[in-house]
This record gives sequence, structure tokens and C-alpha cells, in this order.
Amino acid sequence: MRNDSDLQATGRWAGLRRSPQRMTGLTLVVVVAVFALVFPMTTSTGYLLSTGVVILNYALLATGWNFMGGFTGYISLGHAAYFGLGCYTTAILIDRVELSWWLALALTPVIVGLIAVPIGIAALRVRGASFVIVTIAFVLILLLVSQSWVSLTGGSTGIMIPRPFDGLTRVEHHRVFYYIFVAALVLALFVWWRIDRSRFGMGLKAVREDEDKARALGVPTFWAKLIAFVWSAVFTSLAGGLYALWFGDLDPVFQFSILMGAYMVLMALLGGVRELYGPVVGAIVVGLSIEFFKAEFGDTQFHLVATGLLLAVVVLFMPEGVIPAVRGLFTRFGPQASSIREETAEQLAARQDAVGATTPGSES
Amino acid sequence: MSTGSGVTLEVHGLSKSFGGVKAVDDATVEFLPGKINALIGPNGSGKTTFFNCVTRMIKADSGTVTLAGKDVTRSTPDRIARLGLGRSFQVCRIFPRMTVMENMLVAVRNPTVSALWRGAHDPEQLERARGWLRRVGIDHLEHAEARNISYGQQKLLELAGVLMADPEIVMLDEPAGGVNPALIGRISTLIRELNAEGRTFIVVEHNMDMVMSLSDHVFVFDRGRPIAAGPPAEVQSDPRVLEAYLGV
Repeated sequence: MRNDSDLQATGRWAGLRRSPQRMTGLTLVVVVAVFALVFPMTTSTGYLLSTGVVILNYALLATGWNFMGGFTGYISLGHAAYFGLGCYTTAILIDRVELSWWLALALTPVIVGLIAVPIGIAALRVRGASFVIVTIAFVLILLLVSQSWVSLTGGSTGIMIPRPFDGLTRVEHHRVFYYIFVAALVLALFVWWRIDRSRFGMGLKAVREDEDKARALGVPTFWAKLIAFVWSAVFTSLAGGLYALWFGDLDPVFQFSILMGAYMVLMALLGGVRELYGPVVGAIVVGLSIEFFKAEFGDTQFHLVATGLLLAVVVLFMPEGVIPAVRGLFTRFGPQASSIREETAEQLAARQDAVGATTPGSES
Repeated sequence: MSTGSGVTLEVHGLSKSFGGVKAVDDATVEFLPGKINALIGPNGSGKTTFFNCVTRMIKADSGTVTLAGKDVTRSTPDRIARLGLGRSFQVCRIFPRMTVMENMLVAVRNPTVSALWRGAHDPEQLERARGWLRRVGIDHLEHAEARNISYGQQKLLELAGVLMADPEIVMLDEPAGGVNPALIGRISTLIRELNAEGRTFIVVEHNMDMVMSLSDHVFVFDRGRPIAAGPPAEVQSDPRVLEAYLGV
């Protein structure tokens, strides 16, 4: 008889059990990764490359959001705050402080991470709908500040950032940033994966399931949430800093936009918040859809309606997100297995005999 | 193994009101360390609120709680848990979307930064978790999602999860609530064994047979405060207890 606990290998290769489902997933990831890396070399169309950069930016933003939303279940609709802070921090460090672009970019996540600490301490005192409202309020405050503090941010006219690489054509500029975004995304995914499999991550997921119960089991929930919140701000601001360098022109209305925050939530939910690659899948679907609808419907606002409809369909039919839905299809057509091991009457009797025969000792 | 016989839990003058209702009213209780303490009383007598105030799931209006000589009145629930006070809930609470094993691995007793950053499926922790699951009799469900197992099994999982944090004092809120008689027997046996190993138990329970046969010391609550305390046989014949329960 197969022993399930044997499958739960305890060695260092425990994460590499080769179920067909796992292998299919791994193959898909490799194929997508190879395509993503090769794609910029196969095209010299500026539009395609810039669309790629936009989608990678979305993927990094949604993955950044998922450090908070995915692990703890705290839905922040105002995550554009950290995107905007990232944009402006990089821009101000380059334009006002006159740092080199790479130093400005490296300092941005650190500075925004530090700013996120007091914000997190204040915001994480509340849960549920109140938390959502606090996050929205914060992005609106930042919007007003960035519009009013003209000497620092340039106000409504915004701020221009010189291109970091001299002598590149527009296409080359997009191509370089494409790869920089890929590297940042890989870093974010790695940190998310590392937290996901740690004991710390287990505590965060317990918060998502039942925060009070997690506290009763000794999980220091407040600190755990705060650390997740700061990581989330760090990667969201990194996306902002990169965006500022790539796009070169900031405007408060776009940088601190509620719509951008909503996109982050929707992309993560669409792909699956419990999944490492969920936000990336969501970003690809949403990013491509937005570009397609914009091309189809031109300058009208109808592309927003179409995007909304797409999301409604996904939420209705794939409430857990695209990845779990596809995996569900795979298991449906694959070999059937129950999550609960069924026992025959003989096996049950044998096990009960075994339990009865040994005096329970103290294993702990 | 835990040797918690010396760990004390003392509550003095604890009060909690909800609007005009005094759920806990100036309650003073000194639990017997190393014993099985029971908390009984009619519905609405404030037992669960008292429980929640002691573990700081609810903030008390006044009073002090001292755990192992430390004043934990203003502490947080997670710190109290890490100080060695584990608890279950009246309505069984588990993490439904996590597997049975993952439920076990949540408990934290002494978190260090390096321990928290380590893989959750640490071999040593897995072994400890399996030991507890085996002991409560649900080790065969290790990989099942917790929401898919029966209510009785969830009760056992909750108990095993609490024990995983290795608490010196275990507070159980209605461990026999909603479970079949065979399982009640199993839970009672387990409590007795764990108590013999040095863990203090504080049990809120409505099942009088279980309370009387299991506990060493009984506290009877009525209208938010203890009205009687003593060994089960003594408490059973106390006129104040009969009045509170039967109105005679």
C-alpha cells in the first residue's frame, strides 16, 4: 500500500515531488519564461516592446500587491500610493538631489519601505472594509500633496526624468527596460516564494484564514502583517521607480490613481492570490486585454467597460482565479484522487489495533 | 516535555460590560496549577467572556491577570500564547483552507528570526506535529484540507494545534460540545494523560458527567463571577450552585 507520509519527503528535495501536474506546471513556466526572454530579440516594433514593458510593470505591481493581499488577505485598494511614491522618490533623487539613476533606483525601495512602516502601523490597526478605506484615503492624500507641493514635485505640471541611457534609440530603450523589469520581477517572485514556504509565511496565511485564531496560537500577527506590508511597499515602489526611469514623465493624476490600485487588485485576483504566478498571469491577461480593447475602441472610454466585463466573467466563473481554475480542469481530466485517504474496514481495524496496543507516549 | 506544574494563572477583580450588561463582574479566580480546573455555570454566566478577557481576545474594563508571575493584563493574545497559555474556542476554529499538517505548523512558541525564515516543513517540526496528530488519532488525515474533515476530527485537530505550541496551561472552551460520546471519552482520557505529564487544564464545559469525573477543582460562575469553588463532590451539593442552576 502506498504510504502518503512517505510522499511527504523531509529531505531537501521535498519541494520537487514529480507529480504529472507539477511537471506540467513547471514546463509551462519554463516555456513562458523562455518566450518572455526571447520575445524582445525577435521584434523591433516599439509598440510591441513598450506593451511588453507595460505588462511587466503590471506584473511587478500585482506581485508587489500580493505580498500583502495574497498572504494576509488584507485588500489594499490604495497601493498606487507606493507606486506613486516610488515614481516620485526616484524622480526627486535624480532631478533635485542629483543622484545617479541607479543609486536613486536602489534607494527608492529603501526610502518607501521606511515610509511604509508608520503607515502600516496606523493602517493595520483596522481590518476588513475599514482597512480598504484607509488605503484609499492615503492615496488621495498623496495625490493632493504631490499636486500642491510644487517646489518638490512640480505640482500638476509634473516632473521630467532624463533618460538613464544615452545614445539609445527608442526601441533599444524599451528593450533594455524590458530586461530590467524582468530581473526585478524575478527578484520579487523569489522573495514571495521564499516567504511562502517559510514558517513566517505559514503565520501570514493563518492570518488570512483566521487572524484571532492565529494570535491565540502565538503568531505575532501585528508584526507579521507589518513586515508583509513593508515588503509589499518595497516591490510596488520598485515598479514605480523603474516606471519613472522608463517613461520619463510623471503626472500626479496618473501616479496616484485609484484606478491603478484597482488594477493591481484585479490582476492578482484574476490570476489567483494564493499562487506565486497568479498576479503575473493576471497582469498578462489584463495588460493584453487593455491594449486590445484600446486598439479596438480607440479613444473612447469603452475599453474600460470591456475590461470590466472580462473581469466580471472571470470572477463569476473562476472565483479563485485563472490558475486554480485551469488546475481544476487538469485534475478533473487527470487520474482521480481524494484528498482524504480512504481506508478499507481491515485497514481501519488494523490501525485501531495498533493504536490500542501501544500506550500513547509523550512525543512532544 | 512540558513541566508546567508550577505555572500559575491568577485573575483579580476582572470586569467586562457590553453596553449595560455586566458579562464579567469583579471576578477573582486563582486556578490550581498542575490540576484540571473546570469552569461551569448556566448559559450567559460569563464563562466564555471571562476566558476571552483572560487571553486578551477581548479587552477587560478592569482587573488584573497574572500568568507565571507576570502581569499580562495589557499584553496581546499572541504574547500570552507564547508565555505558555494555549486555548481553544467555543465554536471550533481551525484554518479551513489549510491542510491538517499546515494547521499544526502555525503554532509558535519561541519565534526567532532565523526560525521564522526557515522552511515551514522543517523535519523536526513535521515529526513533532505527526506525534501530536498520532496522539489525538488523526495522523492519517495529514494531507487533507481541514475543511474536509468531520467536526469531531476538527475538534481533535484544534486540540492538537494548541498542544503543538507546548503550552503549560491549556484552556479549553467546551471541548465536548457537539461531539459524540465516544469522542468525549477519548478527549477526557487525553486531558487526563496530558495533565499527568504536568500541564494545567482549565475547562469550560456544560457536560456535567465529564466535568465531575474529570476535574480536580470546579469554579461555578453565575452572573459574571464565581459563586462557589471546590472539589466536584463538594460543589455538587452546594446550595448556591443548585440555586444558580435550578433556581431553587
